[in-house]
Amino acid sequence: MILRFAQWIQLTDFFTYLRGSSYTYPVILSLHMTAIALFGGMILMTDLRLLGLAMTSRPASHVMDQLRVPKRFGFLLVATCGILMLGSKAEEYYYNAFFRAKLVLLLLVAVHALIFRGSVYNRAAEFDRTGQIPGRAKLAAVLSLLLWIGIACMGRGIGYIEPPWGIQARLWPF
Amino acid sequence: MDSRGPIGQNVPGLPNAHSMPITNPLNASPLVFPVLECIHIAGFALSVGTIAIVDFRLLGIGMRRETPSQLDRDTFYWTLGGISLMVFTGLLLFSSDPDMYYLNIAFDLKMFFLLLAIVFHYTIHRKAVRSDAAGGGKLVACVSLALWLCVVFGGIFIGFLNSTLDIDKV
Repeated sequence: MILRFAQWIQLTDFFTYLRGSSYTYPVILSLHMTAIALFGGMILMTDLRLLGLAMTSRPASHVMDQLRVPKRFGFLLVATCGILMLGSKAEEYYYNAFFRAKLVLLLLVAVHALIFRGSVYNRAAEFDRTGQIPGRAKLAAVLSLLLWIGIACMGRGIGYIEPPWGIQARLWPF
Repeated sequence: MDSRGPIGQNVPGLPNAHSMPITNPLNASPLVFPVLECIHIAGFALSVGTIAIVDFRLLGIGMRRETPSQLDRDTFYWTLGGISLMVFTGLLLFSSDPDMYYLNIAFDLKMFFLLLAIVFHYTIHRKAVRSDAAGGGKLVACVSLALWLCVVFGGIFIGFLNSTLDIDKV
């Protein structure tokens, strides 16, 4: 079913145009990369602040609370560009092992947010009051760094590795 | 989107690549290039990302409770580290297929804007940020963001302009 959908969506007029365009596609990819720099840089700074490595002269709550909204806009831009590129080559992505790994990691990011939102990300002011970053916040930061670095590397992998069609089609049950 | 051209392609005016005795060990494994690219991307996310935090502050977006100079002091070494990582891996990437890059107009433009962006960052930009410029701050931030945007676009278009090599340039 997902494969059928992927084949259908990439054959719509819009995505057919996108796939064949000489300039629109690289422009979208460039915007994707730009948003990675903006959004990724802010994630790095937030996590490094929790680890006590960067922006230590500023309160942790300042870094986390003030970067929250810009990070959301950045993520929106990354995701929008990503979905546009995905749609134009949906069938190829469907078979691509790196793309699947990237989806799994993105899912784990959502799980990470669910787990740590209450105990870490909404309690930055508390860390500033006590003057100490607890272990669970550092764990959250390390996991966040690993997940996002993994996602960026998987994204780079998508562009390189030719999908071994036969084998992967059998592994993918949907 | 492999941004490498054909390795060992003959280019008029350059020695025949096949007769050259030195081979670049970076081309020995197909994994080296994408791994270097990942580090390149991490370096540029760190540098451009930290610069953008300061630029957005100059524009009144994001970390408004700190002053631009406070943010600059806190991100200075991370920005520098990111730029170093980016340039170092960039040089290694370039060495994998120098004549392709040399002949690629997007690469030339990228280098032009990169040079401009770095010089601007450590001169005019730094001066404006450290003085917490209220007046010209917004213009400086826009120029800085625009220059880095051009660098990113140049980098992406290197991989899409392989087929339009400007042979006449040699």
